[in-house]
Amino acid sequence: MHAKVQEWLETGKVDIFLGYKMIAGHPLPYAFSRQNLAEVPDMIVGQARYALEKLAAEITAARPEIKVGIMARDCNRRALNVLMVHQQVAPGQVEVLEVGCCPSPLREHADCSALESKEVGFYKKEVGIDNNQSLESVENFEPQDRFSRWMYEFQKCLKCYGCRNICPVCFCKECSLEHEDLIGTGELPPEVPIFHLVRAVHMAGRCIDCGLCEDACPADIPLRLLYRKVNDIVANLFDYKTGISLKQAPLSLIFDQNAHQAEGHPEA
Amino acid sequence: MYKLVPSVCSYCGTGCGVLFKVLDGKLMGTLPLKTHPVNEGKLCIKGWNLHEFVNSPLRLQAPLIRLNGRFTKVTWDRAIQYTADKFREVIDKYGPDSVGVLASAKITNEDNYLIQKFARAVIGTNNVDHCARL
Repeated sequence: MHAKVQEWLETGKVDIFLGYKMIAGHPLPYAFSRQNLAEVPDMIVGQARYALEKLAAEITAARPEIKVGIMARDCNRRALNVLMVHQQVAPGQVEVLEVGCCPSPLREHADCSALESKEVGFYKKEVGIDNNQSLESVENFEPQDRFSRWMYEFQKCLKCYGCRNICPVCFCKECSLEHEDLIGTGELPPEVPIFHLVRAVHMAGRCIDCGLCEDACPADIPLRLLYRKVNDIVANLFDYKTGISLKQAPLSLIFDQNAHQAEGHPEA
Repeated sequence: MYKLVPSVCSYCGTGCGVLFKVLDGKLMGTLPLKTHPVNEGKLCIKGWNLHEFVNSPLRLQAPLIRLNGRFTKVTWDRAIQYTADKFREVIDKYGPDSVGVLASAKITNEDNYLIQKFARAVIGTNNVDHCARL
């Protein structure tokens, strides 16, 4: 891993490599470059996950001449695929060094915070939704019960919008949350559950199930489960599996075409 | 070129860990510090937007004194002398208990200690309180 990154930097394949390094006791994302080549041997994989592909997309958007390499777990790879499919990252601008993250005989702990989920408290299990629950078991709740459980989760929202900010595939230049005409400065934020459900719809064909939103949620709303449901629908209706390939078009385009055909129009 | 700088949120006294994204010396954004024991990778809306005031054109970067009805940029020495003179004037006229001192959640314990010391030893009042109680 270290030799490869060193080689990439020395040969100019990449100008910046985003990996992790221990700083003041924290595994932090760190930008390795030709200026600090000597630090490359200190690079680690670490258990903390950051959306390195989002940082790479931000860097290349601001400085298109820079080539960025990233250390990528499976979720980083999928998110990068989505960003490339939506043309937020130009092909060849971001190089990927894949690292395993699941536990194995050689690795006792998962190199990932999401794979080692936290136990949920009693009250939340009683009236809300357990973040570790399966989609099927949530759907087994009676409709009325299910609604009140989801509403219990949504009403805890602090409206920090951390789920939007941390999301690697949230890249819209104009977010409706910041739209002057929709939500003016000094007005109340959208009511529960408008924001959550609108965002869930926007996640169709985009969410790559990395779980960073849930990690960042101060109210522990089971967002990952919600977006999993949305993408379940997308997978069943359109046979669209988000983030698995670079060859697919964005879902919104496929969706338009399907709707077009369904209305009886000849194929465009 | 590109740096990620760990820091502590300066908005309130909680002390959440943040990570600043810095490109070419300019602050681009804020991330929660995932392994920080205080916030465990979470932030409130103020923390998420911590970088915004740093680059704001409205940010005060030098002390201002109102001279002839208009705010005028002055040196720190001048501003501190001016403030000290005014304190002297008020204390001489109305006594030290006419002054109150509000400490801050956004500074360190040591700074807060100095503030109460300043209030009690220099100004001579026990009127010390804290902005987190306002």
